[in-house]
Amino acid sequence: MANSGEEQAIRRDRLRFTKNKSAANCAILAIVFDVLYFISIYKSDAGSWYYSLLIGMSVVYNLIFMLVAFLVSEGSKNYLVQYSYVIAVVGILQFVRIGILPARAHAAVLETAEGMVPVMGDAQFARVAFYLAASGICCLASAFLGVTKCRQLAEAEKAAAMTVSNSEITS
Amino acid sequence: MANLSLQHIDKIYDNNVQAVFDFNLEVQDGEFIVLVGPSGCGKSTTLRMVAGLEDISKGRLLLDGKDITQMPPKDRDMAMVFQNYALYGHMTIYENMAFSLTLRKEDPNVIHKKVLAAAEILGLTPQLNKKPGQLSGGQRQRVAMGRSIVRNPKVFLFDEPLSNLDAKLRSSTRREVLLLHKRLNATMLYVTHDQTEALTLADRIVCMSMGRVQQVGTPLELYDTPANLFVASFIGLPPMNFFDVHVDSDALVHPAFRLPIDGQMRQTLEHYFGKQITLGVRPENISEGGDIPIDVSANENLGMNTLVHGHIGQGADAVKVSAKLRGWCDYKAGDAVKVKFDRLHFFNKETTNAIR
Repeated sequence: MANSGEEQAIRRDRLRFTKNKSAANCAILAIVFDVLYFISIYKSDAGSWYYSLLIGMSVVYNLIFMLVAFLVSEGSKNYLVQYSYVIAVVGILQFVRIGILPARAHAAVLETAEGMVPVMGDAQFARVAFYLAASGICCLASAFLGVTKCRQLAEAEKAAAMTVSNSEITS
Repeated sequence: MANLSLQHIDKIYDNNVQAVFDFNLEVQDGEFIVLVGPSGCGKSTTLRMVAGLEDISKGRLLLDGKDITQMPPKDRDMAMVFQNYALYGHMTIYENMAFSLTLRKEDPNVIHKKVLAAAEILGLTPQLNKKPGQLSGGQRQRVAMGRSIVRNPKVFLFDEPLSNLDAKLRSSTRREVLLLHKRLNATMLYVTHDQTEALTLADRIVCMSMGRVQQVGTPLELYDTPANLFVASFIGLPPMNFFDVHVDSDALVHPAFRLPIDGQMRQTLEHYFGKQITLGVRPENISEGGDIPIDVSANENLGMNTLVHGHIGQGADAVKVSAKLRGWCDYKAGDAVKVKFDRLHFFNKETTNAIR
């Protein structure tokens, strides 16, 4: 038990000298899933259904999301906890987005020569919903890892400071 | 335990240039050996052969009795510190020091302990999160040493590690290297062209010239009893003064001075009566108050001593001389100073070997 306690302490102490790569990588992975999402949705050939203000806002939001997630990955890497809260909000919004454009496209039908055709089929809807959900999960994972490791780092720094002051007293 | 044995080692390059000739050395466990010599004398080549970075053309290299002549560098359990530090600029100091162990896939917790211990030894703990570009030259060199320490190698190899540092940093880092050796008690091979480093650091010095070992011995042996003219001229600052003298029955004769031969000297020079020899006198073995005149050309006050440059003798017989005189002297160019020689070294004029 003592050994595992010591190992825990060393693992925590390592945070003082290493970057929070796991949180940063989760944020980058969130961008990757978001890209897969918009590639998947924008390649649809469904007449003029997508030509609306909504799709314009979707494009702009995707750009903002990628920028924010990238900044968060850099911030989290350096244990800046406020970035983790930002990515948590962004992650929740990714879930909310499933109910906006994909859900509407899934519900809509398009009148063609062959009859009424759904704008977004079940398979495509499942795919884009999965991408957005995966992106959201990655964002939340990044936020969780960011906050957790920031706390651990704070504890490690406190312990290191106590060690230094104790050694000063001893000397 | 790390006994290193270099046996009859030659280095011949592809273009048939031979850089090292018949190098022999037995390095004991925990010994600090310094290879010293002028540029191009083969000292770095020898070190690189020990590290495995150069092939050994002839001879054998043994580590603790095991032949490692053909062994790849990574398997030799030696760590090398380079003159240019060879640090990764994009990594932090911690990452730089941990890098070799990370490549070996060691447990991160073990790596962490080793890096912190090495950083503590070298006083680098506050710098661990910085990048090499944010450190001074001396600190960077300490990082390079730290990277070696974490590996806990059998032998440390240093290739002119202090050459890139300014004089002040060089002096302090030199002391750190010495403390490091005392603390780790590891076998170390250190290459330098700086004789001050060699004299202050070494347990034993290997003095090299033109690819050949000139003398192996303690710093005091090399300073006090140089084996030949090269060692005598290379070790000591300012270098030893040399005079061609004739050995008469009762005196050493130079056109500008006569030095009586006493009992001990007579015994040393018994085979050289009637012959020419080279007389060596260290600048610090020259003092005021004799009858040998130096025509002063320059006077350098060093505080405790004064370095007087000039010449002894006239015309074709004039010999340039440097004398380190005690105290503060204010000689001017053209002044004549009468000096005496306190300690003499004799060398065979043909072989250049010391006469003892």
